[in-house]
Amino acid sequence: MTILAIHPGAYYHIETLEAPRYAHHFDVLVRPEDLPSVDLGKHAVVFIPCRTPADRLAPHAAQLRAYLDQGGTIVATGETNWDVFLPGINFTPQPTNWWWWLTPGADLGVRVASAGHSLFRRLGQDDLTWHLHGWFDPPDGAEVLAVNGEGKPILYVDEVTTPGRMIITSLDPCFHHGSHFMPATTRFLDGFLPWMREELDGAQTK
Amino acid sequence: MTAPAFADAISSGLMKVVREMDLTGEDFATARGLITTTHLDQIGFQRFAPDVTAFLDRGGRWIYHGHILRPILAELGIYRSIPNPKRPDFVQARLHDHPIFAGIDQKMLETNRGVAGFYGRGHNPPPPGAVVINVLGPAQTPVDWVWARPQGGELLSHAGNEFWGCGDDPEIRKQLAGRAVAWLAGELN
Repeated sequence: MTILAIHPGAYYHIETLEAPRYAHHFDVLVRPEDLPSVDLGKHAVVFIPCRTPADRLAPHAAQLRAYLDQGGTIVATGETNWDVFLPGINFTPQPTNWWWWLTPGADLGVRVASAGHSLFRRLGQDDLTWHLHGWFDPPDGAEVLAVNGEGKPILYVDEVTTPGRMIITSLDPCFHHGSHFMPATTRFLDGFLPWMREELDGAQTK
Repeated sequence: MTAPAFADAISSGLMKVVREMDLTGEDFATARGLITTTHLDQIGFQRFAPDVTAFLDRGGRWIYHGHILRPILAELGIYRSIPNPKRPDFVQARLHDHPIFAGIDQKMLETNRGVAGFYGRGHNPPPPGAVVINVLGPAQTPVDWVWARPQGGELLSHAGNEFWGCGDDPEIRKQLAGRAVAWLAGELN
């Protein structure tokens, strides 16, 4: 099987999806507008990078839903309006404190909520900590992987809304990594993308 | 786009904001100035290469923000980030007093809340004949430049987020946004 990534085309998408550091984690890159010509069922994972304009995916919501209904896996990162193209999303935005780390000893409050999950063999709490954009109210039965300082989910796995699997986060690693900014976001992708390949696509990482 | 900075220009009809997916060739044919934001879909924008070229040919001015990874003109190169930048690499200096920046202390744009690196962390390679406006660090990384294209038109490149969103002084931000509009309209030269 393979991993398909949606490619919205901003510089940070190009840097994340095409540059040598991570390009080998994505087998097929597809523009949102080209989705109707693609059989998503051939792919183990559909990856939607942060800051994908939701209005470019909204016309394809039914196709994404059909893919989930046949057991597909969608991974979607932050700073978009997931609810217009994915089911079961309940998101509350929060004002972003970009400057919390300027206070000595400050703690953004991000916590791993499911330490036994395989993702956290590759990621530590610090690798999820840069800033926050909001939290989710996932459906009952979803597995919450990380929470904010108030215990609200910011990363979860939903295998109950559809026969497929949605891995949803409000974190926005692609934007900051692709901007050559914020080392934690690069560490996140350094761990998350090999995990996605190994655990979700089923391939062994080299 | 930081819309409030442009509210007057928009309400007067001097500027209009067009979603990239809604752009048409007519938008370029009827404009004299163009701003593209750092979030530009550079792959999709390629479809407008003939329109952008024609826009510049007739003397249009274009302010480009962000990292060029899909050059739309043959003379433009691929963005280069500063490798492993340290604080001294973000020190800003003015080399050329372009009218948008003239009289504004570039140091005021160097930090946000004391943190450097927001303005730019690399450069889009200037084409031959471009005039470098602002540089970063001892390597004099050309983060801002303006290029009077021999075939017509001008391109001002800022290799970062919108420059009128940088620094902590709201008056300077407003001034930069106003001057950007005036320059694009041909009223500031």
